[in-house]
Amino acid sequence: MGTLDESDPGKASTCAEVDVEQIGKFFCALLDGRLSPSAAEYVDQAAAEIIAGVDLKRMGMLFALASRHARDRVLLDPSEEELTLAAKLVPGWNPERWGLLETLRARLWFARQDLDQASCVEAVEALFAHADEGECRALYRILPLLPDGLRFQWRMQEGCRTNIVTVFEAVACDNPYPARHFEDVGWRQMAIKALFLGSPLWRVHGLDGRLDEELARMALDLVEERSSAGRPIPADLWLCVGPFEQSRALPLIAREVDHGTEEGRCAGILALGRALQEGRLEALIRAQDPLLSPWAQAAQDGDCSQAAFSRLPGREAPNQ
Amino acid sequence: MRFFDPHIHCSSRTTDDLAAMAEAGIRAVIEPAFWLGQPRTTLGAFTDYFSSILGWERFRASQFGISHYCTIGLNSKEANDEGLAREVLEILPSYALKEGVVAIGEIGYDEITPAEERAYEAQLNFAAENDMVVMVHSPHRDKKRGIQRSIDVAINCGIPMNKLVIDHNNEETVKDVLDSGAWAAFTIYPHTKMGSARMCEVVKQYGPDRIIVDSSADWGISDPLAVPRTGALMLEKGIDPEIVRLTTWQNAIDAYAQSGQIDVEALEGSLEVDQRELFGDSSILRGQEPRVDTPVIN
Repeated sequence: MGTLDESDPGKASTCAEVDVEQIGKFFCALLDGRLSPSAAEYVDQAAAEIIAGVDLKRMGMLFALASRHARDRVLLDPSEEELTLAAKLVPGWNPERWGLLETLRARLWFARQDLDQASCVEAVEALFAHADEGECRALYRILPLLPDGLRFQWRMQEGCRTNIVTVFEAVACDNPYPARHFEDVGWRQMAIKALFLGSPLWRVHGLDGRLDEELARMALDLVEERSSAGRPIPADLWLCVGPFEQSRALPLIAREVDHGTEEGRCAGILALGRALQEGRLEALIRAQDPLLSPWAQAAQDGDCSQAAFSRLPGREAPNQ
Repeated sequence: MRFFDPHIHCSSRTTDDLAAMAEAGIRAVIEPAFWLGQPRTTLGAFTDYFSSILGWERFRASQFGISHYCTIGLNSKEANDEGLAREVLEILPSYALKEGVVAIGEIGYDEITPAEERAYEAQLNFAAENDMVVMVHSPHRDKKRGIQRSIDVAINCGIPMNKLVIDHNNEETVKDVLDSGAWAAFTIYPHTKMGSARMCEVVKQYGPDRIIVDSSADWGISDPLAVPRTGALMLEKGIDPEIVRLTTWQNAIDAYAQSGQIDVEALEGSLEVDQRELFGDSSILRGQEPRVDTPVIN
């Protein structure tokens, strides 16, 4: 359970540069006008207490008590400007699906004066020891915003070992941490586990930038396993293949395009684009199939990144 | 109809039970912290148990469209292991204020020993300081006296009677509890504490005010469908449907929502289950067809 080596040590410096003061101010601004008067009062009091210094037990109690002041199901619903600012503060950070309670907890966390010190790591682990589901989600969304991200590598990978889907997605989806800091084994396991849990792989930040032969092999093994069992293939699986393992991949993709579900057929076409199969796409465009040809055209035009998978038939619009 | 079972130990029930409960209309449950049939020997066993009823059990129930709340507390039996009890009371604040913890409980007396009383008082004081509801387990032996003492000690510790729920009542104890101003809960056990037919008679005699029906289903012979079954029997016996609604749904909400930890608005709305979104075969559905968009039968 020791810390694993970072695959690219050069990446760590990017994370060390986060401006915790600006992020803290950003959380204050996010909450402004979104809380009831009594909740705002709680936040002010709790933050003042944290700034003055609290022990681990009290920190846990303040974190827990936040649940009396914001409902978990209430979404933050950030504006376009707020999303832009978030991504500017921490590249890849996307709070689009954050809840209000998580935001409130993040605000409290950023009241700590020791965010770059060892006592901060100790506090993170102390909270995880007693954390409920909502607190786990909040922590896994807060840690990527802290300086010296590699300190939390084991903890973040541990988050992917849960079977509580909401907690898994707090780590895996819309979160810049895994692509930046997970070592290869943890990264690939997370991608394949997302398929097992039915979590949206297209929302894994930086997925397209970290594809490789090994992940493609694991995904194709899963295609064969599912096919033997007569079970459907998750459309997002084709995201894992990219331009790799083509001698195995292309016949399986072709079969999906011909015989898959509507969603699977379109995903297969995007997979052809990702595998740079221009000739096959050209043939699909010429076939003038009302369902498939527009997808083939998009793929031919290069619109086959992970974001394109959000538009597959039967899926929510990306901004919902 | 929809039901609230405010006392059931889900961690010792199977997914078959959860599916049957959802089908029978159970929309919400409270899982009180209790003992596990044998005494725990380490603090870690307690902390992992508390984490489980705050995390995994809540997730499991949610997969069947059941809102899961819990209570945190040191039960009376294990309060008698005083060294361990002190350790448990020390860490209790790290769990008791969490989201969805609707009360301190189930606490109270088993043999009515001084050690039990010390643990009971310490937890009542914590509840009073933090404005929490208290769920009291009443003893099997010397029940009438034990309940009276539970109420007296709670009053001394400053617990308002509208935040005190006394559980496992019977015909002999209900009057004392109602007269005190506390809530009177009844556990429907097939052969012992209270039967469905007897429950109907209690409701006929005392009316619905502050009366709550629960199953206390656990690892023993018990029925996770006790609340809907009792509701059905009440209707069959001609009891006013409004009385059935109050005693099998609304009163539990009114009592425990005082914690601020029940999202009443969400609970009143219809919750649809989408296992396709939430589930995969490495979680609890193992390859079977997910149940999609099937509203819980109300």
